[in-house]
Amino acid sequence: MDISVLQTLASRNLWGAITPEILLGGLALVLLVIELLFPKEHGRIVPVATLVGLVTILGGVLFNAPSAYLNQETFNGLLLHTHGGQIMRIFFLLAAIMVCVIARVSLAKQSLPRVEFYHIVLVVTAAMMLLAQSNHLVLFFVALETVTIGLYILVSYYRTSLTLEAGLKYLVMGALSSSLMLFGIVLLYGVAGNPALPAHTAQSMHYGQLAAFLAANPHNFLASIGIVLVLAGVAFKIGAFPFQIWVPDVYQGAPTPVTAFLAVSSKAVGFTALLALAGTVFASYAWLVAPVLTFFAATTLLFGNFAALTQHNVKRLIGLSGVSHAGFLLLGVAAVSRAPMAVGAIYFYLFAYLLASFAVFGVMAHVAGANDADQELDHYAGLAKDRPFLALVLALGLGSLAGIPPLVGFMGKLFIFIAAFQAGLYGLLAIAVIGVVVSIYYYFGWIKAAFFETWGKSVDAPTHPERTPVDFVTGFALSALALAVVVLGFYQGPLGAWLSAR
Amino acid sequence: MAQFLFLLFAIFTVLCAVGVVVNKNAVNASICLILCLVGVAGLFVQLDAYLLAFVLLLVYAGAVAALFLFIVMLLDVQGKETFGLRGFRTIAGFVAFALLLAGIGSVALKGQIVSSPPVSVAAGAQLKLYAYQLFTTYLLPVQIIGFLLLISMLGVIVLSKKHEIAEDAK
Repeated sequence: MDISVLQTLASRNLWGAITPEILLGGLALVLLVIELLFPKEHGRIVPVATLVGLVTILGGVLFNAPSAYLNQETFNGLLLHTHGGQIMRIFFLLAAIMVCVIARVSLAKQSLPRVEFYHIVLVVTAAMMLLAQSNHLVLFFVALETVTIGLYILVSYYRTSLTLEAGLKYLVMGALSSSLMLFGIVLLYGVAGNPALPAHTAQSMHYGQLAAFLAANPHNFLASIGIVLVLAGVAFKIGAFPFQIWVPDVYQGAPTPVTAFLAVSSKAVGFTALLALAGTVFASYAWLVAPVLTFFAATTLLFGNFAALTQHNVKRLIGLSGVSHAGFLLLGVAAVSRAPMAVGAIYFYLFAYLLASFAVFGVMAHVAGANDADQELDHYAGLAKDRPFLALVLALGLGSLAGIPPLVGFMGKLFIFIAAFQAGLYGLLAIAVIGVVVSIYYYFGWIKAAFFETWGKSVDAPTHPERTPVDFVTGFALSALALAVVVLGFYQGPLGAWLSAR
Repeated sequence: MAQFLFLLFAIFTVLCAVGVVVNKNAVNASICLILCLVGVAGLFVQLDAYLLAFVLLLVYAGAVAALFLFIVMLLDVQGKETFGLRGFRTIAGFVAFALLLAGIGSVALKGQIVSSPPVSVAAGAQLKLYAYQLFTTYLLPVQIIGFLLLISMLGVIVLSKKHEIAEDAK
């Protein structure tokens, strides 16, 4: 190969385009150095350094928005910097900040190494940000595996028997889903590279080339098997119905900050991938993708809500309610092909879900005892009397998750429903409305436990573990979340316009 | 000559594959698996896919199957469980066999793939081309895998070592 060709190829690796991700990786390495340099104080320095670094990077991304590389392919087509990718970058940074805030509270109850936790959170976040901008199946799979393997470690981080069981389950299920997806990718690669077919391409992992090939062969049998396998692999990651069996056990066993990470960031990763794949690359296979997505959405909505009804462990409850939220988002994805506003609605829903979920998880981290997996509804008895601030944040978070007006969750659901109505998905819409009604029951069971349970019961012997006091950083973060949940419900303003812009 | 070599490696591979299934002793079965992979690597060499042959030997025969062998020896499971052909397994076996026959039959009946246009050399075929691609086009995934290996290593340490250091910081 000619040297000048190589130079051209190498010169398309524009590292400046992924500065935030590089900085995150660098920050992760710096944490390890801090541990070496300050063997005594690193327990205090590391969380602060992580938070300061994350906030700085988030500030930098916001300050430089819109990115100079917008709508440009870099790294020889591996990355495409879309508007959606920019949105998800900010989303994952926000989520990482909140995970670290919750981890400060949660890890304080365990005697475990800290540095590795923050290190892995940072690396996984960087991989998620790259995944949101990926434009090539190779990069997509590598970034996805980095996310999943990081999460395997984080899920079993506390090393109690329940945590390890959750880790093992997640490992086996994750490996299965990854192999399904890889099989699908390989089929697509092979079919699109077949010289006997029209519009075959040597670069069949590239989204644009693959989309062109699929458009030229709209009814290829092997390609459709590949598409279904890839969709199934993504459905595992978001916990959609036939592939949701790991969700309750893993959510219960994982440490609370990791449960939050799984619920918000990992799910968002699945949906960015789904939007990129189902919405654009597989667009010419709508005859296949649309029924599959409709099936996922309908069954996920029904299963998530009805299974959550009977739960008493709050982590299992929030896990199964997370399944139902995946159902609402899938409803949005199913609407994308016929109602373009659905993309903005999905982004808005994801942000609403992020705000409300982290508010709830933040409260959970304070209420939980040293045994992190054992968080029952009963432990919330008398929270309103004991810690009015936490109870208020919890009520706002849960209300928003349930979709009570005027909170932000209501607006999120409303936008998704409008998109689904425009797309003419009336059957799915009916199922979603039933889902909302059912979900109000179990969310309010939780609120009831926190606010009303003390009256009529003797409170002489408190049965709940000791509640952690709220410190300044966590208090600030939780207040900000609660405030955003209320304010964004009334006024979406520039944020809504930015999210729904094309 | 090429025909003879193909037959040699093909028969060797099939015999070893049969050996994996038939052997009652788990250690012998693992060794048969490694030999089977060596046979497949030989077939790849005949197709001029030197890199694939090399990777197959290095990764699968060298690392993965040898790891199997170590685990089998460590766990000492040989001969404790006998897998008989009973009930569900028999049905599954017959279904798999029927699928295999159908596959061979369809290739035999539908004939060979008719003179596909010549394919330009794929990136995976030659080591030099592969390396060029890896360090120009796919440099970013390589870097990500570097971080992936780093967190895997940290994960192994965190999940397996004993923590007696009860956090001096507190």
